[in-house]
Amino acid sequence: MELFNKDTFAQATDWIGGSAREPEARFYCPTSSEFKGRLSKLQSDLERLPDLIDYYPLIVAIVGEIGNNSFDHNLGNWPDISGIFFSYDTNKRQVALADRGQGILRTLKRVRPDVKNDEDALRIAFTEVVSGRSPGSRGNGLKFVLGVVLSKTIEINFFSGAAMVSVSNNNKNLKIDKFLL
Amino acid sequence: MKIELKKFGNLLTSRQDGREALAAIEPLLLNMVDNETLELDFDGVITFTPSWADEFVTNLVNRFGMRVHFVNDENLSVKVTLKLLQDLKKNPSPN
Repeated sequence: MELFNKDTFAQATDWIGGSAREPEARFYCPTSSEFKGRLSKLQSDLERLPDLIDYYPLIVAIVGEIGNNSFDHNLGNWPDISGIFFSYDTNKRQVALADRGQGILRTLKRVRPDVKNDEDALRIAFTEVVSGRSPGSRGNGLKFVLGVVLSKTIEINFFSGAAMVSVSNNNKNLKIDKFLL
Repeated sequence: MKIELKKFGNLLTSRQDGREALAAIEPLLLNMVDNETLELDFDGVITFTPSWADEFVTNLVNRFGMRVHFVNDENLSVKVTLKLLQDLKKNPSPN
């Protein structure tokens, strides 16, 4: 399942790359409660797909982890528009999530001042158990996401700042590149 | 004592919800007697995430250790999440 398609991605990137405004209401989750409500709808919709019946809970779980990360890491510190963009297309097997938050580099630097750039921050976020909200055993969400993606027919493109991570079951690698919107 | 997690819903996600669930059962936990087991029943749970689990299950395991048991945990997201928590316990974060 590809987690971004061009049309959905274009809508999400238009929002995060454009001026500070709320996205279209049908894609907008201003609070984590709203996100949970829509996540529950995703769960119900995926449950009806025969080819995903065995592992749709894992798909919902990784969408939940990524979406909730946006709220957890930006609570009280949203630079402009709070909340997230959340859209999915079950026919195309695609999900898009986006936020206008602080970015992973900034949140990780609080506990890892040695983090050099967005690429370094993404590598740490996906491979190490560390959180911008340490101490504790937080910071396991993206590691969980990586494990699930590598074990199933799922592809993810994850962007933060000027970097992106690409992972799929096919290449079995965490590919991190520079990326500019 | 048995805790049916479906009472908190079939979609168990977010740290905040996990914390609230733990707080909700605190009166029951205080009434547990020595050596009483705590059974977490996942029947009816569809999606189970590490964030929710870390706030609920990890706290219970830290508090009650081997007295915590899991039943009806065949769901894939439950299995993968519990395994992640077990692996993290064995290899904790350096932070």
